[in-house]
Amino acid sequence: MQPIVTIRSLSKVYRQGEMEIAALDNVSLDIAQGEFLSLMGPSGSGKSTLLHIIAGIDRPTSGECRVGGVGVTELDDSQLADWRNQNVGFVFQSFNLIPVLTAYENVELPLLLMDLNGARRKELVHTALELVGLADRARHLPKQMSGGQEQRVAIARAIVTDPKLVVADEPTGNLDSASAEAVLEILRTLSSKAGKTVIMVTHDPRAASFGSKTTHLEKGRLLDVA
Amino acid sequence: MNIPGFLVRNAFRNKRRLLLSVLGIAVSMFLLVTLMVVLRELTQPPNDGGSSLRITVRNKLSLANPLPARQLPVIEKIPGVEVVMPFTWFGGKFKEDEPLMWPQFAVDPRKFRKIFGEIRVPEDQYEAWVKDRTSCIVGRDTFKEQKMHIGQKLTFLSGIYPCSVELTIVGVYEGSIDDRVVWFHHAYLDEALGDWGKVGDWWIKATSTETAAQICALIEAAFANTSDEVRAESERAFQLSFVSMWGGIKLLIGGVSTAVLVSLLLVTASTVSMSIRERFRELAILKAIGFQRRELCAFILAESFGLSALGVVFGAGGAWLISRTVDIKSLTNGLFVSFEVTPQMLGTAALAAAALGILSSVFPAMSVARMSVVEGLRTLD
Repeated sequence: MQPIVTIRSLSKVYRQGEMEIAALDNVSLDIAQGEFLSLMGPSGSGKSTLLHIIAGIDRPTSGECRVGGVGVTELDDSQLADWRNQNVGFVFQSFNLIPVLTAYENVELPLLLMDLNGARRKELVHTALELVGLADRARHLPKQMSGGQEQRVAIARAIVTDPKLVVADEPTGNLDSASAEAVLEILRTLSSKAGKTVIMVTHDPRAASFGSKTTHLEKGRLLDVA
Repeated sequence: MNIPGFLVRNAFRNKRRLLLSVLGIAVSMFLLVTLMVVLRELTQPPNDGGSSLRITVRNKLSLANPLPARQLPVIEKIPGVEVVMPFTWFGGKFKEDEPLMWPQFAVDPRKFRKIFGEIRVPEDQYEAWVKDRTSCIVGRDTFKEQKMHIGQKLTFLSGIYPCSVELTIVGVYEGSIDDRVVWFHHAYLDEALGDWGKVGDWWIKATSTETAAQICALIEAAFANTSDEVRAESERAFQLSFVSMWGGIKLLIGGVSTAVLVSLLLVTASTVSMSIRERFRELAILKAIGFQRRELCAFILAESFGLSALGVVFGAGGAWLISRTVDIKSLTNGLFVSFEVTPQMLGTAALAAAALGILSSVFPAMSVARMSVVEGLRTLD
């Protein structure tokens, strides 16, 4: 299958005074469209850094990263922001919903940057919330929901713009096993049924097993692709 | 939801802090407007209808130096002069322990009403004053405040001249910009001082406003190169030169106003910074999902601006409301006569609030603009 993400000789070096720490060391990787890739590795292995570079929220020291044919490392900050809005959905470990907005409004937030009328936005938000099974909680504030529900709202926010790529950084890290399973199931469905490319960073082998492919990183180097 | 709605939700997320911040700005804005009113009151006494025709003549050396009474016939002969009246500040103390807020002036009652035409006194009382050399008329405010009555004797010991006067109240006046003064006969003062042949100033009424400037020049020329050179000017010019002596007060009020604004700026900047620091992770998320730097900076500016706007509405608006509804003149014992909050003052307060909104958002906006998404996200882990 045609790769949607192409990474070549990617390196990321952090400088702390005189010391140089390589977070990523000459990584090359292809990720196919519709794939659900689990990125595993110990803390400090560079898996989150790799995810951030693919998602266009961090820049490599050297190397190339192309997503859907776009060289994300070549875009300036403003172009990257627009690109992220249209092509990437984010799911974080701590949900990161805006506490003063309802579930509906949190999901609607990325759509405010698009040229859409209110009716179209409403339609898209309802579809996204239905997809994660929370259409009935649309008017609830984050504090009125469980952790699992909050993470499902975050997934709805990630997919409401219909992005090609969904990136998830430890999405089940703060959830109990039942909620974690529900969230992972949704991510798997997004990949298998909606054709989204999902890249998930996790420590948990059970969570990684939901992916169609697993990659291990250690000390910034890619070990294998299972 | 839309972007303004999102901003309003953010602003109201910590209602107690919002309330305290708005209250802090409102109090400072109230203080600022009040200081502007005080400054105006001190430096720009209000005009009244007759003032454009009135001319004062004083000693060129200083206001404290008297003029010779023999100048009267010279001035009376100058073309365009309708009436000339002696006018001397007595500087008396009513009761030894009390600082007097109501001055006493010696004048010529027969000419008084021709010069101060706006002052209203019942005809019988005015006639009684003209007839009785030891009588006086008292301003309505002082009359009420001191619970005086017609026929009451007032004894004043001058702090300027070596004499005292005992006056009988025969009338009450009103209608001037300052209804607190005690007016009595200059002839009585002359007698008390043993016909000293001096007056404090001359007050003149010109026949027309067009001739006023010419009269001033002619009077000054008439006494040029004499031992008592004079300075003649319109009442307005006299008031301005008199208040120029308040230079120190102006500087003090200006300094306090600046201090109010600077401390307000620091408090608002601190509030906005704290509010933004608490939301760093949310702002990083907004950046991640596609919001541009300029949009986030605009959010911060709008929030800071909104805070200042609410503060100025309550603060300056409150000062305006008080100036309209409260009798400041009685409340301040006649210290402030009009206490008017002008549109210019409200405009200045609004401008100060706008500048405050912009300046206090500069540093938080810069830190958010500089923040990378990854850096912002790290604040949560």
